Amino acid sequence: MVITAPILMDTLPSAPTIRPATAPAPAATAPAGQAAPAAETLIDIDHVDFFYGQSQALHDVSLQIEDKKVTAFIGPSGCGKSTLLRCLNRMNDLIDGTRVAKGSIKIRGVDIHQADVDVIELRKRVGMVFQKSNPFPKSIYENITFGLRLQGVTNKARLDEVVEKSLRGAALWDEVKDRLNASGLGLSGGQQQRLCIARAIAVEPEVILMDEPCSALDPVATAKVEELIQELRTRFTIVIVTHNMQQAARCSDKTAFFYMGKLIEYADTRNIFTNPANAQTEAYVSGRFG
Amino acid sequence: MEASSPASHLLVNKSRIRLFGLSFDDCIRVFFGGNAIVSIIVLALITYFLFREGAGFFGQNRQNLTVYRQAGLEYIDFIRAQQDDHTALTRYLSDLRLRQFRHYTQEAKLPVADANAKLAVFDDFAGQFGDTVEPIRTLVSDLTEQASAIKEKFTVMEDKKEERRQLMAEGRKGDADRVIITPVNFAEELKPIIGTLPAYKEASAEFSRRIEQVLATAPVLPTPELQVRMDRFKQLTREYLSGFPAVVSHLESWDYAKPVPAVQALTSFIFGREWLTASFWQDWYGVIPLLVGSLMVSAVALLLAVPLGVGAAIYVNQIATPAEQKFIKPGIEFISAIPSVVLGFFGIAVLGQALRALSQASWLSWVPGFPYSERLNILTAGCLLALMAVPTIFTLAEDALNNVPRAFKEASFALGATRLQTVIKIIVPASLSGIISAVLLGLGRVIGETMVVLLCAGNRIAIPDFSAGLAVVTQPVHTMTGIIAQEMGEVVQGSIHYRALFVVGILLFFLSLGINYVAQIVVRRYRISIG
Repeated sequence: MVITAPILMDTLPSAPTIRPATAPAPAATAPAGQAAPAAETLIDIDHVDFFYGQSQALHDVSLQIEDKKVTAFIGPSGCGKSTLLRCLNRMNDLIDGTRVAKGSIKIRGVDIHQADVDVIELRKRVGMVFQKSNPFPKSIYENITFGLRLQGVTNKARLDEVVEKSLRGAALWDEVKDRLNASGLGLSGGQQQRLCIARAIAVEPEVILMDEPCSALDPVATAKVEELIQELRTRFTIVIVTHNMQQAARCSDKTAFFYMGKLIEYADTRNIFTNPANAQTEAYVSGRFG
Repeated sequence: MEASSPASHLLVNKSRIRLFGLSFDDCIRVFFGGNAIVSIIVLALITYFLFREGAGFFGQNRQNLTVYRQAGLEYIDFIRAQQDDHTALTRYLSDLRLRQFRHYTQEAKLPVADANAKLAVFDDFAGQFGDTVEPIRTLVSDLTEQASAIKEKFTVMEDKKEERRQLMAEGRKGDADRVIITPVNFAEELKPIIGTLPAYKEASAEFSRRIEQVLATAPVLPTPELQVRMDRFKQLTREYLSGFPAVVSHLESWDYAKPVPAVQALTSFIFGREWLTASFWQDWYGVIPLLVGSLMVSAVALLLAVPLGVGAAIYVNQIATPAEQKFIKPGIEFISAIPSVVLGFFGIAVLGQALRALSQASWLSWVPGFPYSERLNILTAGCLLALMAVPTIFTLAEDALNNVPRAFKEASFALGATRLQTVIKIIVPASLSGIISAVLLGLGRVIGETMVVLLCAGNRIAIPDFSAGLAVVTQPVHTMTGIIAQEMGEVVQGSIHYRALFVVGILLFFLSLGINYVAQIVVRRYRISIG
């Protein structure tokens, strides 16, 4: 429960953000719904080795995640897919004794593990939705506005606007618009998860990381979240970890298959599921192991 | 059939050990169940004992108040109150003299002799004012003797009755008959006292006239600020004089035979502002000074212990490295291993001295109440009790923080919150009810603590003077726990004083019970809110 990893976020200056000097404007302010141009790399993972204490969780992983696309990480339990996901917004910093031993992760060309990167700024740009829905024990309204209030937004009209926009974005507005001041914990499991998504998109991140967002949901709620992912893909880059192969096939543009901490295959989703290049991938997606 | 016989053989209970017809499993159940029941029986016995011993107090206290009335003590206290108010006024004058003296020596820089010379007129005035009460004072001291004599007769009668009762109980009827009981005829005995009413009226009138005379000669004081106080004195005196007719009417309407209402036995305890025992005149069992003492000491203790305990819990739970945790947690929990008498001893020998020395440092003179001279006071006891409450608050608050799901913290960080923001906006609110209940249990610990307050609170049975503002914490007090520990060893078993201490114990019991009950309710709500 105690974080002791060398978290730099409290001490770092906030000046250098994850924006290369060449980029004219951050994508977060780019007009939403813009048709994705030819695949542009947003996140560049380059030969990453990752350790929990002495045990190595990732071995020399390299892959490029494209802008405004849905990328799925699949693989059996313990293969390192969640670890890699949590590297992308440095959530692993919260766990003692973790480190990236080799390689780099660059978002728009900026290495996010550099000493002068502001982790707070990073996490504002790379939002996250967790496996188990975790709304704060506060009202729905306060849940959504939490991130904005952290950034110092206090204008009521602006907050109201963001709450409505985010809840509509998460397809939850019609269900909760009459009880915005009710506790977020009073919602059903599926609604709670969509509330968490709304909370994540309220701060307008560039990337949304989803760590098995549907594993605790029933099929109806799962279908709603998947629909939502389809709507969000036009505005955000989404990286989703899933155990559900059909989900990966339905939702994602590209799929990465991990096994024992190694990236086995990374290709267009269609190819992975219909014509995998690797025998292990084929065995996994056809359900023969894992 | 053949297949079923080995199976049924397996089902036979093969246990051979039996004790009083109970199987081994039953014995284990009885053993553990028995332990639980014994604890509850002991608790029930303690409660019963507390109430049985305490219940007799109210009857005895009513008797006490009845005698107070019948022996005429109440009658005389009306007049005595008048005299005491006059004393308060003379005290106001001596305070005024001190202020003038300071003015002359410090601001006007006069030598002491000159200052005293300048004050001669005022001293003359104050002296005359002090003497005006003489007619009343003589009357009161005469009456006091008479009323004490009546009360003494009553006490002797009660003792004789008790003696006879005991002899009868031992079966020595002959001896019992020889005990002479002289009944007290209150109506007859009180006649000389009530007969002084005309004399009182005369004395009171004389008193009033003298005050008027003296007041007319009031000197003019050197500064406007002092003159304001002089005017205030005159006003107070006039108010005092206007209360005289009320005293007369009280005396006239007073009736020794008027019964004391039963509820007064209770109210005089709960709202009584005086705890006065073994007095030559009248014993009072009012719990207010003790209650206020206990609450003041607890308030100071909590004020110090809550930030320390909760702050340490947040640090250890959220910020400290494992190495720091390993050092801090046992360290704080170790405090509760220090025997309270050792802490009290430390308080007398070290902390009390140190705080007093600190209070006399010139650079701290802006602190209200500083400098002070009473080494043992609310502050000293409160500091030590805070130390005792810190482990309780720390441990329970840390548990509460630990119960906050990790997911809340991760979600907060993932939204770009700093660690401080996460602690303040997510972790502490989510565990707030747990923290509140930790504080309440800390309060329960503090209010029931005896040894430290007995040694370090100063043990002066009086309601602290709240008009002093924050400086009130530098005054000594006595507490409910302290008074029981101190006086229980000296009282006669079964006496009203003995029973009064038990009632204090009952009050303490209910206070702790209430605090624990509220804490439990808070914890229960907390569990629901986390879901």
